[in-house]
Amino acid sequence: MTECLTNKKVLTKGNYAIANAAVLAGCQCYFGYPITPQSEIGEFMSGKMQELKRGYVSAESELAAINMTIGAVSTGVKAMTSSSSCAVALMQEGLSYAATDELPVVLVSVMRGGPGLGNIYPSQGDYFQATKGGGNGDYKLIVLAPSTVQECVDLTYKAFYLAQKYRNPTVLLADGLLGQMMEPVEFYEYPYPEIDTSSWALTGAKGRDGRIIRSYGPLADDRCVFLEKLYAKYNTIEENETQWEEINTEDADIILVSFGSTSRNVKTAMKMLREKGIKAGFFRPITLYPFPSKRLHELSQNTKKFITVEVNMGQMVNDVRLAVNGKCPVELINKGVGVPPSAKEIVTRVEDLL
Amino acid sequence: MSRIVIDKEKCKACYLCINECPKQLIKISNDTNKLGVHTVEFNDPDNKCIGCAMCAMRCPDLAITEVYRG
Amino acid sequence: MATQVFKLPESLKGDVKYSFCPGCDHGVAVRLVAEVLDELGVRENTILAASIGCSVTIYDFINVDSLEAPHGRAMAEATGIKRARPDKIVFTYQGDGDFASIGLAESMHAALRGENITAICINNTTYGMTGGQLGPTTLVGQVTTTSPTGRNVDYYGYPIKIAEHIALCDGTAFSARVSLDTVANIKKAKQAIKKAFEVQIHGLGFGFVEILSTCPTNWKMSPEKAHERVRNEMMPVFKPGIYKDVTVQN
Repeated sequence: MTECLTNKKVLTKGNYAIANAAVLAGCQCYFGYPITPQSEIGEFMSGKMQELKRGYVSAESELAAINMTIGAVSTGVKAMTSSSSCAVALMQEGLSYAATDELPVVLVSVMRGGPGLGNIYPSQGDYFQATKGGGNGDYKLIVLAPSTVQECVDLTYKAFYLAQKYRNPTVLLADGLLGQMMEPVEFYEYPYPEIDTSSWALTGAKGRDGRIIRSYGPLADDRCVFLEKLYAKYNTIEENETQWEEINTEDADIILVSFGSTSRNVKTAMKMLREKGIKAGFFRPITLYPFPSKRLHELSQNTKKFITVEVNMGQMVNDVRLAVNGKCPVELINKGVGVPPSAKEIVTRVEDLL
Repeated sequence: MSRIVIDKEKCKACYLCINECPKQLIKISNDTNKLGVHTVEFNDPDNKCIGCAMCAMRCPDLAITEVYRG
Repeated sequence: MATQVFKLPESLKGDVKYSFCPGCDHGVAVRLVAEVLDELGVRENTILAASIGCSVTIYDFINVDSLEAPHGRAMAEATGIKRARPDKIVFTYQGDGDFASIGLAESMHAALRGENITAICINNTTYGMTGGQLGPTTLVGQVTTTSPTGRNVDYYGYPIKIAEHIALCDGTAFSARVSLDTVANIKKAKQAIKKAFEVQIHGLGFGFVEILSTCPTNWKMSPEKAHERVRNEMMPVFKPGIYKDVTVQN
């Protein structure tokens, strides 16, 4: 995979694409613990980071991996960890700390089946885990959901940028299908400006007093002030960074909503429905937090029905329902785990719902 | 003349320094500080202090802030 | 003309008032760490990974850059800091519960990897901040709030000898156990802390000091009696000494 460090188009797996993009984004340290279906990320990083004289640690656990990442980013450098589902569960404490310490951790979460040990099939069962979090307290993670291997590259760059820009932990939420799928991709230079971290990073208190990065506030009043400030930041993120893709929504009677790898077949299904004379539209949230609620609410004024398509038991459908707020029905087409439903199957199930 | 400086506001009255002093120059004071505890005081009318700093090394609360020998 | 033979270390924040209980040895340990940073001249190049427990309050007293870690994860965060900034002096200040119970995996693996980090661990045989529960170092027979009839090995198992275990790790450069029960031992403790930083500065590997300390509040003893307990009950089990020092072996 060393050839990926060039700008030419190459055929590569999603996991390698993410890892290579992270290297190109200037990720200085990688910490991880193996778990299928994302182990290629750590394998690639172990060689590449050593070669580039950057940091790599085969962590003793995911608990250690997320906290090593917190330690590294606290010094102002870009750093990441990657994992999957039942092991991302172990990182929730660290993510809550990183959110409240306002540290730009980048986590690549390549979903597999759950709950529990689950299985290694593709899945979108960790939509809640990523967007609602399993850590304690009020906090938000920025969550980016690629649907192609090229987007794995684009959104890895963006994850590093947004994490540092807002000093907020950011999750790249892929799944086993994207991680293992091969597609032609183009790598390019990190397209975002470098963020100055010198006002807050721990660099040794040279010529100044020591800084403390912490979440512990002994007074309840202080905590409220802090939380209000944190949520003001989340509002800014919602205003500035909400991203989605929509096709044929303006005149649509039904709008199919889907994210990640599943959305690929949904897009095809939308076109097939159009060919059958059904006015279908396609809507794909790219940022799962911030969720494009405002746009979905606007669309609900003119459409007759939303149908979300997900590979889980129905998770994102809740956020669509909240956005639509009863204006029109929101239905679910789902499959619990595994390869997403085919376009043909989606068309049949949509027709059943009409 | 050897001597020590005590910051009485930092003293929490653990009294560990009292037994540490080889010349028994530290005593419990009649005065209290803002914590409401009887602090220690340095009482050396005969200039017996040898400036060994044992009391300061022992003090867990940085209440003995300076020691001079001479 | 009298010369000053004792002053507060410059690596402490100005006019520090500790929040530790009266007679708690944490105060001495924090001062010793600050004195060592002064003597090595590294305050401005040092980063602390703080822990959870009474030990966490060190960041309110010591004037270095600090990162607060979740319970048990100080060593992982220190590893991340050191890998990102290998030129910085990185240390942790943890209690026995943080270092040797919830954080044992992080501690052992940092030592096994030979991370160039210094770890200071306070052993007071109990969880102090939460009110004196049984911890990994609670002595056999010791009464705590969760061993109300004493630590019975059939029921609770045995305490861990931390310094010995860390010394067994190939990546460890220095591992020692010291005590703060007397001024003579306080002086020895400072030498050990200094050595644990020096091995890091010279890139020799993991530097570790376990410090036997008191918890008069939870032991329900006077500070004076607490030191007697350290001597009479702790030191026969947790024997002070240098368990590994690669600068001597080589």
